Amino acid sequence: MNMNRLIVFSRTFRIGQRLLGCHARHAGKEELRLQQRRSIKTHSRHLAYAKDLFLGQVNKAEVFPYPEIGNDELEEIKQLVAPVEKFFSDDVDSAKIDREATIPPETLQGLKDLGLFGIMIPEEYGGLGLSNTIYARLNEIIALDGSIAVTLAAHQAIGLKGILIAGNEAQKQKYLPKLASGEHIAAFCLTEPGSGSDAASIQTRATLSEDGKHYLINGSKIWISNGGMADIMTVFARTEVEVDGVKKDKISAFIVERAFGGITSGKPEDKLGIRGSNTCELSFDNVPVPVENVIGEIGGGFKCFKFIKSGFSVWPSVELTSEYATTRKQFNKSLSEFGMIQEKFAMMALNAFVMESMAYLTSGMMDRPGIPDCSLEAAMVKVFSSEGGWICVSEALQVLGGLGYTKNYPFERFVRDCRILPIFEGTNEILRMYIALTGMQYAGKILTGKIKEMKKGNIGLAIGMVSKKLRASLGASVDLGLTGKDGVVHPSLEDSAKKLEQNVSLFGSTVESLLYRYGKTIVDEQLVLKRVADVLIHIYAMTAVLSRASRSISIGLRNHDHEVLLANTFCNDAFFKNNYWMVQLQKHSPENNDANIKKIAKQVLENRAYICSHPLERTY
Amino acid sequence: MKGSRCLHQLKSLRLLSHAGRLLPPAAGDNGALFRPRSSSQLGGLQCAQREVLRHFHSSPACTKGQPARFVQEEDKTRDKSLVTHDDLFEQVAKEAKTKATFNKVIDVYTKGDIRRRGHVEFIYAALKKMPEFGVEKDLTVYNKLLDVFPKEVFVPRNFIQRMFNHYPRQQECGVQVLEQMENYGIMPNIETKVLLVQIFGEKTHPMRKYQRIMYWFPKFKHVNPFPIPEQLPEDPVDLARFSLTRMANDWDAKVTVYQLPCTDVTESGAEVTLPHIVGIQSPGQMEALAKHNPDRPVFVEGPFPLWMRKTCVYYYVLRADPTPPEEKIEEPYDPERCLSYPLQLDLDLDRDLGDDESFDVEDLDEGPVFAMCMTSQGDQATLNQWISGLQESNPILGQIPTLFRLGAGPRELQGVGDADSASRSWFPSHVQREEAHPGEEAEAVVEEAEAVVEEAEAVVEEEPRRSQVVMTLGLRSDCGGNFVDSSHRLWSFSSGVSVKKAPDEVHHHALHPCIALMQCIGKFALLTQRSPTAAIAGPGCSHTGASSRLHQMQLQWIQ
Repeated sequence: MNMNRLIVFSRTFRIGQRLLGCHARHAGKEELRLQQRRSIKTHSRHLAYAKDLFLGQVNKAEVFPYPEIGNDELEEIKQLVAPVEKFFSDDVDSAKIDREATIPPETLQGLKDLGLFGIMIPEEYGGLGLSNTIYARLNEIIALDGSIAVTLAAHQAIGLKGILIAGNEAQKQKYLPKLASGEHIAAFCLTEPGSGSDAASIQTRATLSEDGKHYLINGSKIWISNGGMADIMTVFARTEVEVDGVKKDKISAFIVERAFGGITSGKPEDKLGIRGSNTCELSFDNVPVPVENVIGEIGGGFKCFKFIKSGFSVWPSVELTSEYATTRKQFNKSLSEFGMIQEKFAMMALNAFVMESMAYLTSGMMDRPGIPDCSLEAAMVKVFSSEGGWICVSEALQVLGGLGYTKNYPFERFVRDCRILPIFEGTNEILRMYIALTGMQYAGKILTGKIKEMKKGNIGLAIGMVSKKLRASLGASVDLGLTGKDGVVHPSLEDSAKKLEQNVSLFGSTVESLLYRYGKTIVDEQLVLKRVADVLIHIYAMTAVLSRASRSISIGLRNHDHEVLLANTFCNDAFFKNNYWMVQLQKHSPENNDANIKKIAKQVLENRAYICSHPLERTY
Repeated sequence: MKGSRCLHQLKSLRLLSHAGRLLPPAAGDNGALFRPRSSSQLGGLQCAQREVLRHFHSSPACTKGQPARFVQEEDKTRDKSLVTHDDLFEQVAKEAKTKATFNKVIDVYTKGDIRRRGHVEFIYAALKKMPEFGVEKDLTVYNKLLDVFPKEVFVPRNFIQRMFNHYPRQQECGVQVLEQMENYGIMPNIETKVLLVQIFGEKTHPMRKYQRIMYWFPKFKHVNPFPIPEQLPEDPVDLARFSLTRMANDWDAKVTVYQLPCTDVTESGAEVTLPHIVGIQSPGQMEALAKHNPDRPVFVEGPFPLWMRKTCVYYYVLRADPTPPEEKIEEPYDPERCLSYPLQLDLDLDRDLGDDESFDVEDLDEGPVFAMCMTSQGDQATLNQWISGLQESNPILGQIPTLFRLGAGPRELQGVGDADSASRSWFPSHVQREEAHPGEEAEAVVEEAEAVVEEAEAVVEEEPRRSQVVMTLGLRSDCGGNFVDSSHRLWSFSSGVSVKKAPDEVHHHALHPCIALMQCIGKFALLTQRSPTAAIAGPGCSHTGASSRLHQMQLQWIQ
C-alpha cells in the first residue's frame, strides 16, 4: 500500500507535504491556491473520495467501478490463501492460546515459514511484497485468532512501518530482511503514562552523547504490543532541536535494537481479550542508539508518526464473516423461525457485507497507482468495522443464550477479543475526530471565500442558497450522476443510489452551515464532529455496498441478487440514520440533546459521582 | 377573621362614597370624601357610619367570632393569666430548666383545669418560654403543646362556620405554634396533623399552615448542596480540616496537618502551648505556584473569618498579586502536540455571532491563592512554620520572598470586656462562639476597621492593597462560606458581617455590594442555566469570575 507513497515521499518533500493534506502545518498560501485550483478542475485522481463528500460532491471515478484485481494476482491469492487457511484450521489452537496467554513457539515458527511476518515488505528486502488487497484477504484468515492477528499487526502494520516508509535505504537494508523472515520481531513504542495521543505526555528523552555518535534514550513506555519479544523497536522520544536559534523539544523516532542493551521489559499485562498477544511495559535506561538509527530527520517524529497512522490496516473488519459462518450452523430450525432471531442473523449478514465491501474498496483504492490519500477512508473502515464487529459477535453470543456465555463455545473469546478493536490503533473517538476535522479543514479551505461573502450579505449567494434549500425541501431530486445516462450504479440499485445522492448533497450543505456557524471553533464541538463523522462513515459505507453490488450484478457473481437485497436494505437504513443525524446538526433542532447531555456530564463530573439521591434515602 | 374585617371595611367605604355622591359638586374637594374627619359637613354622616359599624359589629354572627366589646376586659384577663402562666414556668424554672420540667408544667396545667380555661394564653406563654428550657427544637414538646387545645370544640360544624373565621383566637394560636416550629426548622409529623384535625378540623388556618410547611420544608430543608452538619467536629484540627476542604472546592486538594496541638513544659518550667497548623493545597495550586515568577513576592494574609453555622473560624491564605499582563505568556499552539488529529483548524472563519453563546464578562484579574491554612495562633512565627511545611512540597517557595500581611485579629468578635483577658488580644482564638446579634456586630466591625490599619503587623506599605471581595449574605446567621474557584480566586460569603481584608478602602462599600450581589445571584440562577461561567463586577469591589458554584451558593442561606 505504501510503496507508492514511499517512492513519492523520497522523491520530493513537497508532494509528501501535500500528502499530509490539511494538517500539514506549513500549509502556505501557495499550497492553498494549488488546492483551490485543483478543486475547480475536474477532479484528477490525486484527490480521494471521502474529502469531496464534505463539499457535497460524489467523486464517482474514485469508487466506481468496484476495484478488481488482475487474474494473475487472483491466482497468487489462491495459492497463498490455501496453505494459510490450512495452517490456521489444523495447527492453531486458539482456545489454548487464550488459556495459556501465550502463542506457542511452533505456531510462531509456522507463521514465519508461511512468510506472514513480511507480507507488506517488498520482495527486494525478502518480504512477500503483496498489495493491500491481498493483505486484507490474508488478514481475514489470520483474524481467526485474535492474538496472532494482533501480534502480526503490531509487527508489520505499525512496528516496522516506520522503517518501511520513512527509513533510509541503509536502514531498510539492515533491518527489513530479518524482520520479513520473522527472525526479528518489531514493536512500536509510543504510549506513555498520560494519554496516547498527546505528544506532551511523552517524557522519554533522547540525549546526544558527548562524542555525538549516540543518542541515549531514557524513559519508559507502556502497553507495548510484542514488547516482551520484540528485537527491533520504533521508539518515540523527546529530543532537543534548535529551531531558529531557539531550543525546542521535538519528538523524534528511533530504531532501537534490544541488543543495544539497557532495555527491560515488564511483566506481560493480563488482558481481557487477545490474551495470547504479548503486551508489556518497556523501560529504557541509557540505551545507546547510533545516530544513523534516527528515522527520517531528528525532530521529525511527528511526520513519521503521521505516515504510520495513515496506513491503517483493514484487518479487523473481516474477522466476523467467519464467525458468522460458525454461528449459523449451531441452530436447528425451530429457533431460526423466530423473527427476533432472524433479525439478528440478517443484521450480522448486513454488517459483514458492509464491512467487507468497505474494506476491499479501500484496499483497492490504496493499491491504485498514483498517490491517493486514503487515511480518511482507512479510518472510517476501522471505526465502522470495529463497532459493527462488536455488534456481530455479541449478537452471535446472544443467539446462543447461556451456552454462548460458557467457555464451551468460542464466542465468549470472540467477544473478548473483539472488544479491543474500538480501543487500539487510535480509539474510535480519536479517529472520529480525525475523520471529521480532516474533512472540515479541507472543506473549510475551499468554502471560506463563499462563507465570508455570505456573512457580508451577498444577496445573490443568499438567494442561491435559499432557492437550493427550497428545491430540496420541495423534493426535487438531487442528481450527482450516479444513475441515469452516465450512471455507474446498476438500475436495480437506483433507489438506493438516489438516497445516497440525497444524503451527500444534504451533507454538503450541512457541512457548509456548520462552517458558517462555528468556523474554526468547530474543533471544540466534539458532539457535532462525532455526528459529522458518523454521517460520513455511513455515506462511505453506502457507496461501498452500491459499488460492490453493481459490479456483482454486472459480472454475474453467484447470489448477486442477495447482494442487491443487502445493499438496498443497508442503504435504506443508513439513509434514515443519516437524515436523523443531519437534522440533529441543524440549529435549534429539537432532536438535539447536546446541551442537556453536556450539562448532565458537567454535574456528574463536578461531583465525581452519580448525584441523584437514592429513592430510599429519606421520607419527607 | 380577615374576611369579616374586610367586609365591614368595604361596607363603610361604600357608605362613604355613597354619601359623597350626595354632596353638592360645589364642595369641590374630592379628597375630602375620604377624609371625613377633616370635614365638618360630614359630621352627621360620620355618625351614621359609626352606627352602621356598630350595627355590623353587633350582629350575632360576628360577636361570636370577635367579641369586640370585651376587648378591654379581656386584655386585663390576658395580662392576668399571662402573669399566672408565666409564674407557673418561673416557679418551675427555679429548680431546673429542662424538658422534663417543661413537660411537667404542661401536665400540671392540663390536669389542673378540666375546662382548660385560658389555654390560649398558656400556650403563648409556653411558646415564649421554650428557648429558655432548651426545648425549642423538640417536636414532641410542640405536639404536647398542641395537645393542650381542647378537641373537637373548635371544629366548624356547618358551612357558615367554615366560611367565616371560626374561633379565630384559637386558630391564630395554633398557627403561632406552627410558626415557631417553622422558625426553628422543626418539621411537623403525622401526629401534629392528627392533632390539628382533631382540634380545628380540615381546611382551617392551622391546617393550611401545616400543609404549607409540609410543601416547602422538604424542598428547602435539604436543598443545600454543601450541608454543614448539625454537630460540628469538636476537635479544632478536625474542624479545620472540615472547613478547609469545604472552602477548597477541589476534590484533589490535600489537607496536611503541619502540627498537632500539644502542650510542652520547657526546662524553665514555663508551659508552652503549640498551636495546631492545618493547611490545604490542591495540585492545581501547586502547579500555579511552581509557575510563579520568583521575583515577585507571595503574601501570607489573614485572618479571614469563615462561618460554620454559629461558629466562626479563621483562616490564612498564601497568595500573590495578579500577574502583570507583560509577564503573561500564552503557550503557543503546537501543531505537533496531538499526534492523531489537529487541535486547531487552519481556517480564517470565526464563530458566527448567532452561535456565540458566551457572555460578555468583565474579568477583573485577582491574584491566585496558592494555599490556605488554619491555625490557633496567627502570629508570624506560626505561619512561618506553615510556609516551611509547604516548602517541602513546593520547593520554589525557597526562592520566592514571602511577606506577611497579617491583619489584626477578630478582636471585635470577642466580648468587649474580655478583650484584654488574653495576652494576645489581637489574635483569634481558633473558634469563637458568636452570641452577638449580626447587625450590631457589623457596626462593630466597621468601626474596628479603621483602628485595625495601624495595628496590622508586617504590612508591606509599598505594596498597594487591593480591595477584596466583600460579600454579605446576612439572611441566616448560620449560612456563609468561602471557597476558592477554579482559577484559585478566593470567594468569601459570610453571614451578618462583611468580610474584610483591606479595611482602609473597603468598609464604606460594605453594604452596597451586598445588595448588588444578592441581585446578581438572582440573575445568576437564570444565567447559569445556560452558561456555566459569568461574572459580577460591582462598583467598589471586585466580584470576579464567578462560577456556577456561585449559583449553588445562593441556596446556602436556606439552611
